[in-house]
Amino acid sequence: MICVIAMVVFGVMAIFSASHRPMAKEAFDCVFRRVTLRKCQSGLDVRMKTKLVGSLMRKSPKLARPVYKHFEVVSWLFVGLFIFSLILSGQAVYNLVVHDNCNGPDADPESCIFTPNDSIIDCGDPLCEDGECEECGEDCNCGACES
Amino acid sequence: MNVEKIREDFQVLKKEIIYLDSACMSLKPIQVVDKINEYYNEYPSCAGRSVHKMGLKLDKELDDSRKSIQKFVGAKKSSEIIFSKNASESINLIANSFKFDKVLLTDREHNSNLLPWQKFKYGILRSKEDFTFDLEKFSEAVKKYDLVSFVYTSNIDGYTLPVKEIIKIAHDNKAKVHFDAAQAAPHKEINVKKLDVDFLTFSGHKMLGPTGTGAMFVKEKILDEMKPFLIGGETVVDSNYDSYVLEKLPQRFEAGLQNYAGILGFGEAAKYLGKIGMSDIEDHEKKLVSAVDVKVKEVGFKGERGIFNFNLSGIDHHEVAGILDSSKNIMVRSGMHCAHSWYNAKQLKGSVRASFYLYNTLEEVKIFNEELEKIRKLK
Repeated sequence: MICVIAMVVFGVMAIFSASHRPMAKEAFDCVFRRVTLRKCQSGLDVRMKTKLVGSLMRKSPKLARPVYKHFEVVSWLFVGLFIFSLILSGQAVYNLVVHDNCNGPDADPESCIFTPNDSIIDCGDPLCEDGECEECGEDCNCGACES
Repeated sequence: MNVEKIREDFQVLKKEIIYLDSACMSLKPIQVVDKINEYYNEYPSCAGRSVHKMGLKLDKELDDSRKSIQKFVGAKKSSEIIFSKNASESINLIANSFKFDKVLLTDREHNSNLLPWQKFKYGILRSKEDFTFDLEKFSEAVKKYDLVSFVYTSNIDGYTLPVKEIIKIAHDNKAKVHFDAAQAAPHKEINVKKLDVDFLTFSGHKMLGPTGTGAMFVKEKILDEMKPFLIGGETVVDSNYDSYVLEKLPQRFEAGLQNYAGILGFGEAAKYLGKIGMSDIEDHEKKLVSAVDVKVKEVGFKGERGIFNFNLSGIDHHEVAGILDSSKNIMVRSGMHCAHSWYNAKQLKGSVRASFYLYNTLEEVKIFNEELEKIRKLK
């Protein structure tokens, strides 16, 4: 089932990089075979499994055994997390488009890095007089005066 | 044999890897790589036709290389050595240059020594239950065949056939003998003159040489009877619109512009192995295999050999190979090792093969043992 994640990840990477296209194709083939109840033939699932278990054997041998034994369950878990993460991302995109804020209409606009710049008014450098800042206007971001 | 000193010649071993896949592809020492570069940097020209300095230098170097291979296999004349791309091409060349009535093969042939013979009538001689060669059965069977084409050392489990006895029995029954020595030439001393073998084929890439290089030894009197399978450039001294005159031996069998850089590297590899000593290499490999100490299901022959072939119960062979690679950079081969017929007959899906060579150490075997033990416990 780990091929589902590989297909989406490599699929996105393949848009920008030709070198990832064969991997994306391989992952797609693997997923296609799995959904048609056949065995993945490319070996991509075995490669990913062995890479993960091999790395775990180096860092945490105790964890390697359950991951190896229940790799299908772990894969489903990852797929679940992946789908949950996709839903959250979709929701954020919707909020950004509709409310100019990825966290919803009532959230602080500064907490969303994708919030368009024009929603925060930049007043430029504050005017300084005798080393003290003049008061900024409402909604302005004022930097400190250089003395 | 100073393994530590030998390892210094192999640049790739500076990376932290444990390479146990030499039965598929050997690593290359710097001497071989330098020789290849020497051709491209100093005399990148044509051989056998150009009279300028670079062409003549190449002619001399190629001649030296052929002589190195001749010496390596103990042939009487260098003209009995024909260069090819690999053992597969050499075997195809023999199969297409002769008309054999019936060919006898073993049940453990690599695809390269099985497929080319399937166009003839052929028989398969089964091994004994302990995977050794059945000389008794062979003595009876050989009477019906005019060619015996056997693997010298098996790439499945490293078992070496009783070559001398086989050749004697075959010749007593007027059959010609070919040995596929792709897995033997890199690991043991071979002397074709003493063996009295008719054909011997082997690859360069398994014996420290470059990829795309191989050779075959054919007795001179047989070569004279052979009709070249590939003809064209470099195989003739003269041609008309309706006829041609073939080149002398061995050039008439080496059609087209050759892999000069590869051939030079191949010759250098033979020199390198010759300097170290083939019997020392063979002993070293046997020592390494006998140091493998894990509870596994061994596949094939279990006696003295240079290859360790196994399966771990409940764990797929590709998974074992993948985990060894990810956890400790241990590189082994998994699958059917180009001997599908053998695995299919035994209803085995494949196995893991660890193959050792002169640059492997006992320390590496120790790490291999530890990792296999960890993988075994995964189940």
